Amino acid sequence: MVCIRQATIDDLLAMQACNLMCLPENYQMKYYLYHMLSWPQLLFVAEDYGGRIVGYVLAKMEEDPSEPCHGHITSLAVLRSHRKLGVATKLMSAAQAAMDQVFGAEYVSLHVRRSNRAAFNLYTSTLGYQIHDIESKYYADGEDAYDMRKPLRQSQPKKHHHHHHHHHGPGGCCSHDAPAAATGSSQSSSSPDKKANT
Amino acid sequence: MASKFGLAGGIPERRVRPIWDAVDSRQYKAALKLCTALLAKHPTSPYALALKALILERMGKPDEALSMSLNAKELLYSDNIFHFDDLTLSTLQIVFQRLDRLDLATSCYEYACTKYPSNLELMMGLFNCYVREYSYVKQQQTALKMYKTVGEERFLLWAVCSIQLQVHFTSGGVKLLALAEALLKKHINSHSLHEPEALSLYVSILEQQEKYDAALEVLSGDLGSLLGREEDKLRLQGRLLAQASSYPAASEIYQKVLESCPDDWESFLHYIGCLLEHDVNLPKPSTSEHTCPSCSVDSALSNKTSLSKELVESRLTSALSFVQSLQENNSSDCVRGPHLANIEIERQRCLNGNPDNIKLMEALVKYLHRFGHLSCSASDVEIYLHMLSNNEMSELLDEITRSFDASSISVNTLGSTITLFKVQELLGTLFTKSTSELQGIAKRMVDTFYKNLPLSNDLDPQESMYGEELLSMASSILVQLYWRTRDLGYLLEAVLILEFGLTVRKHVWQYKITLVHLYSYLGALPLAHKWYTTLEVKNILLESVLHHILPQMLNSPFLQHAADLVKDYLKFMDDHLKESADLTCLAYRHRTYSKVIEFVQFKDRLHRSMQYLSVKSDSVMLHLKQKADSLDEVESILESVSHGTKLVQLSNEDSIKDLTFNEDLDARPWWTPTSSVNFLSEPFDESSTPASYSAKMCKHKSNEKDGSRSIGYSFDDALSVVLGISSGKKAVKDFAPDIVSWMSFAVFINAWNLCSNVSVIPGTDQSSQNSWWIVDNLVKTCIDQQLTDTNQMLTSPGSNIPLLAWMVTEPISWHLLVIQSCMRSMAPQGRKKKKGGPSERPNTPHLQAIRSSVQCMADTLQRVQKCLSDQMKPEDQALDVLVSHLQGTSAEGPGQITRVLDESAAAANSKIGGRIAHSLEPWSCACVMRRIVGAESETIAELRKICTSKLKLLASASASLSLVLH
Repeated sequence: MVCIRQATIDDLLAMQACNLMCLPENYQMKYYLYHMLSWPQLLFVAEDYGGRIVGYVLAKMEEDPSEPCHGHITSLAVLRSHRKLGVATKLMSAAQAAMDQVFGAEYVSLHVRRSNRAAFNLYTSTLGYQIHDIESKYYADGEDAYDMRKPLRQSQPKKHHHHHHHHHGPGGCCSHDAPAAATGSSQSSSSPDKKANT
Repeated sequence: MASKFGLAGGIPERRVRPIWDAVDSRQYKAALKLCTALLAKHPTSPYALALKALILERMGKPDEALSMSLNAKELLYSDNIFHFDDLTLSTLQIVFQRLDRLDLATSCYEYACTKYPSNLELMMGLFNCYVREYSYVKQQQTALKMYKTVGEERFLLWAVCSIQLQVHFTSGGVKLLALAEALLKKHINSHSLHEPEALSLYVSILEQQEKYDAALEVLSGDLGSLLGREEDKLRLQGRLLAQASSYPAASEIYQKVLESCPDDWESFLHYIGCLLEHDVNLPKPSTSEHTCPSCSVDSALSNKTSLSKELVESRLTSALSFVQSLQENNSSDCVRGPHLANIEIERQRCLNGNPDNIKLMEALVKYLHRFGHLSCSASDVEIYLHMLSNNEMSELLDEITRSFDASSISVNTLGSTITLFKVQELLGTLFTKSTSELQGIAKRMVDTFYKNLPLSNDLDPQESMYGEELLSMASSILVQLYWRTRDLGYLLEAVLILEFGLTVRKHVWQYKITLVHLYSYLGALPLAHKWYTTLEVKNILLESVLHHILPQMLNSPFLQHAADLVKDYLKFMDDHLKESADLTCLAYRHRTYSKVIEFVQFKDRLHRSMQYLSVKSDSVMLHLKQKADSLDEVESILESVSHGTKLVQLSNEDSIKDLTFNEDLDARPWWTPTSSVNFLSEPFDESSTPASYSAKMCKHKSNEKDGSRSIGYSFDDALSVVLGISSGKKAVKDFAPDIVSWMSFAVFINAWNLCSNVSVIPGTDQSSQNSWWIVDNLVKTCIDQQLTDTNQMLTSPGSNIPLLAWMVTEPISWHLLVIQSCMRSMAPQGRKKKKGGPSERPNTPHLQAIRSSVQCMADTLQRVQKCLSDQMKPEDQALDVLVSHLQGTSAEGPGQITRVLDESAAAANSKIGGRIAHSLEPWSCACVMRRIVGAESETIAELRKICTSKLKLLASASASLSLVLH
């Protein structure tokens, strides 16, 4: 009954509540809305029996023309009561598939705190991400981030099924970027020809 | 854009860039300097003027900004302009928008578009202007013009979106859908469609017109391939087929969905609905209303089917075998859907002519055997639990108990233990247990939590720990014990358990929210406020979470804290409502048409929020309360809200009609289901059953939707109530819930009587002292009633401090304003006095009435002061009183858990170790008690401060009255 479906704007209330329950940090609402209005195909919620939102993934396409087309996972959250059910994996797979199918992304990237072992395990063992780089002092509190990537386009050798992923699985699987645009001032650029904060 | 042309509004880009850079980095002074230099060189450039206006607005000079931008506008309209470009217009647009003059921005673009009728960029600008003004018809016209000019698919879809919005927000727009359909059809015939979002919009236009077959045809044709995800397409097909009553085809489609997504519960419900040929026009669970799962039991699929009993049976049997095949193919724990489906099918059998279906019970047991260790399992089966008989309930509990070995320590055992407790909680079996049994259960929960702490030692500190639900449940049991026995010790232990949990890990929001309510009830508002603050509620959560704290704060002596909460909330809402159209423009630009419609609807939902409406008026009241000691300041506040007509407009019928309620009431503790209800203030009803109690909760939640409660009397009846209470003929108690409103009403009657030419109260006239006397008596009676009710504050939680604070800060404050106003008009000072000369004799009886009212208010407030001082004990003495509630030595009564907590913390180093033991080092129950004592006296002190300032005001009024009268 954890059904993965595309997020609607009305889900916003539940998504932010989910964030409150999962993590002490949350985003500027404009940042969520920007994602939702720009790449609605990449936003998924996990809806439990009774219509309760128990998790979500927030993702975007990178718009930098100097890099190959790729997506980026901005945020992933799953309620404690619904951990170890593969919800995070399902959400991530849905977002990755949409990046590939809808936008033709070549790879997907994400940031994760160095200390977040549970999330790191999920991304490497279960989802097949690899460390691409380390961004020092990426988070506001000075912690480093792993810049992780996973190729989407080229046909990958089929991975053997991870029967055991839930043992070390998505425990604290929450990757939260804290890009300046999201946590910093709410003031977007005033120049009329610039886009809102990305 | 600027760089694209090399020229920006006719000015070289290199001259403009530094100005924008300065603005972007908020160096407004520097920007202004550069801009002034630019203007010296291009004095008649509208662009330079617009830039300057923008900078002035940012510097907080709206008037100068407006006149500057109007200058720019005028220049644009004059004929000798060479550079009429979008950059100038969009800069002006920003300024006008920030100055709340969208109309001016629109008229600029309208003018430009008539001047350059085929300029696409200007038309897009104009379209955006209409989006910001929510002018759907003009949006549609502009989009169609763009479509005709360049023939691009997106502009056609902008027009179709605008039509959808008209249909949604105006009645009778339905025939527009046919227009939208015709436009799209014509375009498809010549150009086809190229975006998935365009296809969705087309299908929804057809669906709204109930042209299901046509929609299905589109989906199965070439266009259908636009939908990237196969399951999405199948779900859409299933929904269309079901709406077209093609049930067999629909259920086949849903089977396909379930084969690829076995966990898709909604599709499963549709599948069953189609098999039984229910009307499957299932509304999506609406998040715009309070959700109350236990009220909506069965709501989705309870309609009786029209099929024969035999047919139902055979179809359910086939569903069962389908579901079983799904179970076999999905053996991991991650897929619960097909297993839960089993229970739902048995429930359908019960509903359709087989009420004694024992297989329902079997299916439940099987489910809990398999998934009982998961923390979601109890809530998974919640609605089915309510179908069980008493015997079945105890059988089920036995089965769960037998299903695991409770003595071992593992995550799974802990999970099963929690499920067992939760099922008991949901079944309501705890309600029937004796006090000592309940106490034992609560203690066991706390023990289990502690024993299992080592499991969580390796988790990240921010990560939820295993067994956190146990402390919530234990504390809830203790609240129930308090309600039952009125022994304050239980309530204190409920607090202690949660504080203990937060010492272990400081991020558990459930604990925090419950503590907010417990502390509010205990009269320790500063602690409630502190925990609320640690939730760091912001953005849209302000709308859904604020109700936990705001109502208490509004009627508390902590006016500044309340004002801050109100300010943050209103800022978020106002900003969002102002800026959301910019995001709608973004959605148009990104061609996410479905989101355009959703987003406009969402904005509308927030716009019509009940909470938004009431906080807007609360904010004015609060402001008045804060400034009530100064008549001048109050007058200027009143002026700023057009003397209240703005507030009256807020409550006119149009705005009240379609209010939305976005508060997340599910997060509230069971004993205060809405902010206006608190079971703990009512007597405990032994006879209440879990069912009656949950029905009561739902009733309260749905009542909340019916909008605000008014006193509901005609003016004459209300008047006679006030006269009755004031003369002692009617008991205050009978009007208790609204007593403060009655007091304020009396104050206003007096004020009205004073300034009206006709007597408001029968048998009195303007000069009569009667209306003063009514207020004096009413205030005196009501306050005295509260003071006699005020026993020891610490022994009677839910004390009347908030009520006293409310009386002092509202009716008494308002009355003091009336007094001040009378004195100002009757005893003119300075120049005026000399001019008027001795001919203006003071109206002696009136002055005497005022003087006796001043005396009465002063006496009353002094009694309040004295009562408050009596309650202010030295800290240690107050602490002793509080702790004495926890010192029961027998096995019965509160105190045991307190000792368990202290002992556990002391032993944590040897028994738990790691970071958790470390976090428990500072724990002691006494510290928590000390904080409660401190917070309670802080509350009293704050109220005393307010009384003192009112008394000062009265003393000076009394002194000047004596001067006039003697």
